[in-house]
Formats: sequence, C-alpha cells, structure tokens
Amino acid sequence: MSSLAMRPCGDFRTSYKADNTIFETKTIRLVTFLVIALACAAPLVLDGYFLTLFIQISYLGIAALGLNILVGFTGQISLGHGAFFGFGAFASAWLNTSFNIPVVFCIPLAGFLTMGVGMMFGMPAARIKGLYLAIATLAAQFIIQDFFGRAEWFTGGASGAMAAPVSLFGFDFDTDMSFYFIALFALVFMYIWGCNLMRSRDGRAFVAVRDHYLSAEIMGVKLNKYRLLSFGISSFYAGIGGALYAHYLGYVSSEGFTILMSIQFLAMVIIGGLGSIKGTLMGVVFMVLLPEVLEGMVGLMKYTDYGNLPMVTDGLAYIKEMAIGLVIILFLIFEPEGLAHRWGQIKNYWKCYPFAY
Amino acid sequence: MTKKILLSTTLACFAFASGAAQAEDTVFVGHLADMSGPTAFVGKPYADGVRDALAYINAHGGIDGTKLEYETIDYAYKVPQAIASYKKWLSRKNMVAMQGWGTADTEALISFAAKDKTPIFSASYSGHLTDPQGKNPNTTKPAPYNFFYGASYSDACRGLVQWAADDWKAKGGKGKPKFTHIGANHPFPNAPKEACAEYATELGFDVQPSVVISMKPGDFKAQCLSLKSSGTNYGYIGNLGGSVQSLIKSCDTVGTDIQFMSNIWGGDKLVFKAAGEGVKNYIFPTMTPFWTDDVPGMKLVREISKMSDSTGKEERLHHYIRGVCSTYFMKESMEWAKAHGGITGENVKKGMYVHKDWVPKGLEGVCLAATWTPEDHRGINQVNIYKGNYNHGDIKVEKVNQVTLERRVDWLGY
Repeated sequence: MSSLAMRPCGDFRTSYKADNTIFETKTIRLVTFLVIALACAAPLVLDGYFLTLFIQISYLGIAALGLNILVGFTGQISLGHGAFFGFGAFASAWLNTSFNIPVVFCIPLAGFLTMGVGMMFGMPAARIKGLYLAIATLAAQFIIQDFFGRAEWFTGGASGAMAAPVSLFGFDFDTDMSFYFIALFALVFMYIWGCNLMRSRDGRAFVAVRDHYLSAEIMGVKLNKYRLLSFGISSFYAGIGGALYAHYLGYVSSEGFTILMSIQFLAMVIIGGLGSIKGTLMGVVFMVLLPEVLEGMVGLMKYTDYGNLPMVTDGLAYIKEMAIGLVIILFLIFEPEGLAHRWGQIKNYWKCYPFAY
Repeated sequence: MTKKILLSTTLACFAFASGAAQAEDTVFVGHLADMSGPTAFVGKPYADGVRDALAYINAHGGIDGTKLEYETIDYAYKVPQAIASYKKWLSRKNMVAMQGWGTADTEALISFAAKDKTPIFSASYSGHLTDPQGKNPNTTKPAPYNFFYGASYSDACRGLVQWAADDWKAKGGKGKPKFTHIGANHPFPNAPKEACAEYATELGFDVQPSVVISMKPGDFKAQCLSLKSSGTNYGYIGNLGGSVQSLIKSCDTVGTDIQFMSNIWGGDKLVFKAAGEGVKNYIFPTMTPFWTDDVPGMKLVREISKMSDSTGKEERLHHYIRGVCSTYFMKESMEWAKAHGGITGENVKKGMYVHKDWVPKGLEGVCLAATWTPEDHRGINQVNIYKGNYNHGDIKVEKVNQVTLERRVDWLGY
C-alpha cells in the first residue's frame, strides 16, 4: 500500500506488511520527510520565541507520548506523570553533576532511572484497575513531590539543581537555536520509536490488554508483564522529556512538577486523541499554543485606547485562564476522540469529495 | 492617478519611518505577574505596585525622556508560560530588564538572564539569588543578573530569630527557647529553613524538627498538637496568608502558647482581617512602612497609586509598596545607564552597583537604603519587625524592632 501515492477509497490491505507500515502512502512519507527537512531549516527564519515554543512542544510532546502509550494504548491510567517528568529532570542533572557523566548519556540514563521508578509505582497496576489505579498513581505524584523536597543529595532541596548544557565534541548546545536541533532530533527519534513500538509484538499486546484483558490473557498475553512494561515505557518517555527540559533551562526546581502538570499531560493526550501517536503531538501543540494565542489576543486588546487599563487587562487575564478550561470541556463534549479523529474526518471528507459517502 | 498613489505611498513610508524613529526612544520592560494562579493572593497587589510605578514613570518624563514600553503578562505561576513570555520579549521587543515574580519562574530564568545579559528584578527572595559569582560553596547556581528589593528569606528569618532571642530574654524566659520551622515541603517555605535553623542554634535556641503544613488552607490541628507537645516557644511560618490563617485558628483551638513569626508574604492587614480574633501579637517582617504611616516618600507612593485608583482612597498593602520600590531601583539604574552608554541590560546591571546606601529619589522613608555590589546581591540587610493584632476589628500594626544583619561572608548566597 505504501507504494501508492494517494490513499484509496476503502481499505485494501492484503498483507501483514501492508498492515504494519509506518507511512500508509508515498505522499504521507514524502510529506513527513519534507516537514522534517523544513523543521531543520526553520531556525534560519524563526526567532527565539518560536524556537522556545517548539522546544517546549518537543519535551512536553515526548512525555505526553509516554502517557498516551499508557492511557491510550494500554488502557491504564496515571495521575503522576508530572512527577515522573520531574524525576527525569532531576535524575539527569544529578547523574551529570555527581558522576560527571556527559549530558548526552545522562539523558537516556535518566530515562532508564525514571523507568525504574515508574515500574516501582506501576507495580500495583498488575493487581488493580480503573479508579483504584488512578488513586495509586496520584499517591505516586505526592510521594515523589515530597521526595523532591527532602532528598537534598538528589535535588538540591530548596536551592534546586543545576543542569549543564548538552555538550558534544566541545560544542555547547546552550542557545535556543542549537538546543532546537537537540529537541528536534529527540522528538523525531522518540516518535519514530513510539510508532515502531506500536507495530511490534509488545505494542499489539498493549492494545490487546486495553481492548479486552480477558481475551488477551486467553490468547497468551501476560497481563502483569505488559501492564508493568507499559508503565515502564511511559515513565521512560517522561524521563527523557524531563531531562531535555532540565538541560534546556540549565536549572531544575521542584516547584513546577505538581499535580497540575500531570493533569495537563492528561489533557494533552485527551485533546490530541487517546491511542494515536500523531494525535499526541497535535494535542501538545494545541495546549502549548493555546495560552500564547489567547495572550496574543489580550495583547491586541492592549493596543486599543481603552484596553490598556489594569481593569481591562486583569479581566482579560482571568478570561484567558477560564478559556483554557472552557476549551478543554468543549473538547471533551464535542470532540471526545480528539484532534486525531477530527483530522481523519477531514481526510475522509476530501477523499470522498464531492460525495458524502 | 499613479503619481498620486506614488506620492501618498512615499508620504506614508516617511510617516511610518518617522514613527519608527520615534519608537526608538523607548525601551522595553517585561513584567511577569501572577494574578490568577496559586500565589495571586499576594501576587496581585505586588503586580499592581509594579504596574502603577511603570505607568507613573512614563507619565512623568520616563527615563530622562526615554519612555518605558511595558507589557504585563499574567503567567499564572506556570513556568513554560514564563519562559515563552521572556523569550518573546527578548527576541521581539529587545527587552532591557524584567520585573519578575515567583521562585519557580525566577529560577527557571537564571541561566537565560545571565546569558542574555538581562537583569531580572524578582519578588523571589531566595538566599541563593544573592550570590552573583557563586562564591559560597552552598550556592548551586550563580545568579549574576538577578536582583530583588528586600532582605532574602534567610536574612529576614535570621532577623526574626534575633528578635526572638531578645524577646525571650526580655520576658525573663529560662533555659533554651524552642524554635520550629513551619511550612510546606516546597522550595519557597524551605528556602530559609537550614540557614535560619543554624543561626537559631548559634543564638542558643533548641531547634525542633520542622512541622509540615500544606500551602493550602486546611485543618492543621494535628500539626498544632505536635507543636504543643514539643513545647515550641517560637514558630516561624514559611507559607502564604491562606494557610497562615488556618494555622492560627487551628492552634487557638488546640490551645498552644507559641509566638508565631511569618515570612514577608505571610503577614499583612488582609491576613489579620481574615484571621480575626485569633491573631495575637503576630510578628512579621516588612521592607517598607505601611500605607497609613507618615513618612516623606509616602506622598509619591500615593501619587503612583492614583494611576489605577483615581480616587486615591484604596489602601494598598505593603506588598504593593515593595513593588514600587523594586521598580524605582530599576528606574534609577536605567537613568545611570542612559547617561553612561545607553540603556542596555548590561548597563542597567552596572547602574545597580553605582551607589551605596541608596534610596530612590522621592521615596525617602519608604524604600530602605540598599547597596548592591558585583560580589554581593544582598541589597538590603535590614529587617523591620512589626507586630499585628486584631483588637475587635481594629487592626493594629506596630513596629517592635529593627534588625540590621551583618553581611557575613558565610551567609552570602545562603
């Protein structure tokens, strides 16, 4: 099927290979490579502000994909993803400062450390489901957050931890432009890995566990193993995202990794589309850009004659916060399957155009 | 017709160019504020102070003729939004300085500010921001471009401990008084914990294990019982107003006999009003006098306040006045920068080091005399200590002491 340039109207996949392909058609493959090539050239035209937004999309996107693997593909739940993200950030900084391991190695190592922690907290997942599991992961959030406050050897306590910039062959990636390439590489790498994972035996086992755990077990899928593995992989992604965040800022303080961050990750995967890899990225882009776009609108209001009064701008600030909440609620009501589903519908519409079916 | 269009286009271009030339005589100052997030309780009055001061400066000639272009962004205490705003200001508006807010964003921006040479005037008073060169081994990260108006959390707590030691003697207390740190397990309340405990031990206190209460208001009777059973005499509260009120009420119910002392954000007239009868001899530090105090500089503060309250009747909290001081120190360093090579981030930073024991013009008696040096960013080492009482709705706040702390080398950045 990937030999076709356009998507045929109907599903004509006749082999496992065709069913397993990453890029469904030639055009999709071409567009993907084109987008990556354009992204590589982007710093030539974009300023620091856009680069920062992209870097944010990268590290949050990697962590959100982890959560989607857990929630969207395996049907588990986690309310502690923000804490795992923070753990990755501290772990990478700690490995670098305490053991002098180069940062490029610290980032994947931090992923593995976070994976260990995630699996430890994911252990109850082998036994409990649904709401009970949600509460167990919520506990993980609070335990880890408290740990950040107390473990001075690891996090620096109240002073926080310093994270050196990524350095390769003597070159420091400490500017927005240079770090952009690290972030882009990590994003593409982790997303391709995520796509491949979902095509593999383990990925399919995750989906089987989600769709019907009893059938999966009867088919020989080890439930405990895959539930735990899903927690591990999810935390690994969170750890990598957190480590990138740490080395971008150069400094980690535990203030940011609260329950709010965990909820924000959940919102990202719900808005993007549960169980969709491209949907995850869409959700992250949406959540990162929404406050900026709203802020831009507030900003435009300030240029009007009567708009720059504290009363008006303060009011708009509240409206901005409320609008974010409102958009999330509207999504849950009108687009429960997320942006990925909407994108599919748009494509279907054009595929059948001008006919409705 | 074509000529007409050509002429009008040329004219429009000139008009635009002259507009741009005019626009060159402005500098941009970013202003991050938390007006709707978890620290909005004190973030709002502080932000109002900064904003009114910026507006007032513009309305009265700017920085020797250069207008301040500024934008206030309510980032709701979210670090990613703070970073995005900072980057936007820097890359699009050539920001020369920023008025910041909390611990989370200030610390996230330390490295960027140092790299971009943009001074950040924050309302986070963490001790480690005072070490610009990383001289103290306890300093995790040198913060060369960070400034704040006020004593650091550690220094303010040291001042309170010093007051407590005198108070213990004055009351004729015998033996070692017991001191306990009370607050959430969070970087903001924890910031002065160790430094303060060390100094308390030095002054002869028996330091008890700290008591953890959440940052959010709640029922803290269990914690009050443990304070009671440990026999704490002096308790330092590191949290914000909401949980301070809950703690006072819970401890009154339990019946403790503790002299409470809070950090600078945990004590103001609104807190006492909300806590009601439970507030008895509550001790807190300030860096400015109060709205009703009769000092020469208050006249200017009242004028500044009129920028957002034309009636001039609204009583502002001391957090507001601190925002004004922070902005005015920045203003004067900008004036120096303008006279010495132009208003750039680097020159504004240099401008902060020019004076010794410096009070911005017109704010005499309001802002404390400050001294910043390239090696030491402890601008203020003076702590004014006040006592607050409710008195059946008549909130009475009186000054009980003024402590000037030594600039000890081992306290730098700690």
